[in-house]
Amino acid sequence: MQRLLLMGLNHATAPLEVREKLAFSTTQRRCALRGIREKFPGAEAVILSTCNRVELYISRPTHDLPRPEQMVDFIGRFHQVHPDQFSPHLYHKANVEAVAHLFNVASSLDSMILGETQILGQVREAYDLARSEQSAGLVLHPLFQRAIAVGKQVMTQTTIAEGQLSVASVAVDYARRIFEQFSDKTILSIGAGKMATLVLRHFAQLSPRRLLVCNRDLRKAEELARRFGGASAAFEQLAQHLVEADIVVCATGATEPIISVELFEPLRKLRRYRPIFMIDIAMPRDIDPRVGELEHVYLYNIDDLQQVVRQTQSQRNGSLEAARRIVEAEVNSFGQWHRAREMGPLIERLYAHHHQMAQEELRRTLNKMPELNESQIAHFEDLARRVVNKLLHDPVQRLRGGQMPHGLQQTYVHAMEKLFNLDSPSTPKQEDDAAGPSAT
Amino acid sequence: MSPNPGQLGLLTASVIFFAVGGVLSLLRVFRHKPGLRLPAKICAYVGIAMALAVLVWHGRIRGSWYPLEDNFDALIWLGVLLALFVQYVQRQRPLGGLDWFIMPVVILLLVAAGVFGQISPREYIDSTWSIVHRVSSYGGAVAFAVAGATGTMYLIHNRRLRRKTVRPELDFGSLERLERISMVSVTLGFALLSIGLITGIAEVIHLGQYTSLGINRMTQPKVLLAFAVWLIYALVLHTPINPRMRGRRAATLSILGFVLMIGALVAVQFMPGGTR
Repeated sequence: MQRLLLMGLNHATAPLEVREKLAFSTTQRRCALRGIREKFPGAEAVILSTCNRVELYISRPTHDLPRPEQMVDFIGRFHQVHPDQFSPHLYHKANVEAVAHLFNVASSLDSMILGETQILGQVREAYDLARSEQSAGLVLHPLFQRAIAVGKQVMTQTTIAEGQLSVASVAVDYARRIFEQFSDKTILSIGAGKMATLVLRHFAQLSPRRLLVCNRDLRKAEELARRFGGASAAFEQLAQHLVEADIVVCATGATEPIISVELFEPLRKLRRYRPIFMIDIAMPRDIDPRVGELEHVYLYNIDDLQQVVRQTQSQRNGSLEAARRIVEAEVNSFGQWHRAREMGPLIERLYAHHHQMAQEELRRTLNKMPELNESQIAHFEDLARRVVNKLLHDPVQRLRGGQMPHGLQQTYVHAMEKLFNLDSPSTPKQEDDAAGPSAT
Repeated sequence: MSPNPGQLGLLTASVIFFAVGGVLSLLRVFRHKPGLRLPAKICAYVGIAMALAVLVWHGRIRGSWYPLEDNFDALIWLGVLLALFVQYVQRQRPLGGLDWFIMPVVILLLVAAGVFGQISPREYIDSTWSIVHRVSSYGGAVAFAVAGATGTMYLIHNRRLRRKTVRPELDFGSLERLERISMVSVTLGFALLSIGLITGIAEVIHLGQYTSLGINRMTQPKVLLAFAVWLIYALVLHTPINPRMRGRRAATLSILGFVLMIGALVAVQFMPGGTR
């Protein structure tokens, strides 16, 4: 039997300062997945890391490793952060709860911005990465595929994503609260990744005087600038660009702040104390939070913007309820499918065991009745088979289709194995971790 | 000439309409009742119409159509001009919340007209200097009222933006627009006040430095406050040269200037020897 575990934190449980310490870049995710595979060979793993959440999904045989505390330890060691700093913000879910959580995440029901579609792409990306690293297996493959399908279903079958507010649209709205016109403004994008593109798409519609894209990789900067009719800018001349800019969008993958208070403070005079709107949507943050305390600086990070989105977001229609119903139905459906799949080998063994017993008893009886012809023997064989099938029908049906909780299901499985002396394919290695905080 | 009870009654009705309009405007935003926009607007226009009717009635009884001949007349004109400014801005390019800041000033001016106009009516002196002095001074006060209101809005909006507590229903427009309106008002008000001060000095020279009671006209509180206001707005106008002043500081000074301007207007009422 496989056990699904989820360990993670999100915008609701952890502040930005904690999340940014534990965020995984793509390279780090690859590295971490390889690490998990080496350390826990029996486990499957997927890491979902976005600006709002860091989640580690593990599937492993019930008595195998890693245990939840080992998952915490792994995350801490990987980022060189002591578990005490982040463990109070962690949540731990197992089996059905973990499935429900992932489906909610993929459907954006767990997002700060309800109905945002970006998360679906991020779930898919996490799964693709795990697949390419061969760390997703028999459980996580179907789980993530189904999660993506559920996310799509919610987006298309409900109105949850309609009239949706995004971080980018809120950023533009805030820019309008600071600036009246944009035909004399310069917008500077630091970074040329997906998030920067998303935000620039909105800002480009304001028809600014200049749009600069500054990136370490100049080729990427040129590509993005060309797309929005802007110009690329050398990263080495960042200070000069900051003097010119009225709006700054920061979305790089840098691990340390790019704009420090020491860098920006002297530039204010050169800027003639013009107001500047800075949007830091990077994770970890690109702009030192102290920059936002300076006069004439309006600094908004991802949490600030998402908070606004959430506040202004309309949850007026029944789309949320409809989305929840879809997710709930899909969780049940996946649970049944998974259970049936998990039970398959056991039921096969159960039938094989009983049919074998019946056949043995039948042979013994037939040996004492040599006068029987072939047709009569076939009748007896058929009788034995039907008796076994009839006897096993009810318990098997209950095992397959019932709505029993996972813990009870495991108890049944163990009981069946013990009572009927069925050989278990997995060999117990460690004590079960069913006593974990969210074990079901 | 003192206003008669009928004029005071009409003025009171005008104040009530402005107040009801303001309450409806607030309810529209805070209770999310967009349907109240029209009643609020109607109330404001009825208030303006009533105040204008008072001016017409007062002028007719006085037998003169010259504006600003006495306190009653001058303060009502001031209030009406401010109310018209609000309606003009809201019609051309609405600036959310502008009426909340200016209409109370309008109401205060109308109440002041009722109080001071009745108690201490002023004599009209038929001189060109005096007319120019009054028109420019009151015109300056209107502009400074606008600057003070937009300055207050700027400070509130700026504070909300910095604290990230902006509420979508309380849209004050953009900081840039508030700053621009404030600067235009200050520039206009400063020019008018400068003319008011110069013509005032000319009038002092014409009448003599001391009143019949032996009071130095140049050191009267009204004059000193008017000079203080002039200096403050000179500082605000300094902003393009010294950008460090822009934003919060300029807005604060605009408010301070407006408060002193109110002080000057009130001081006029208690000055011995009339308005001059």
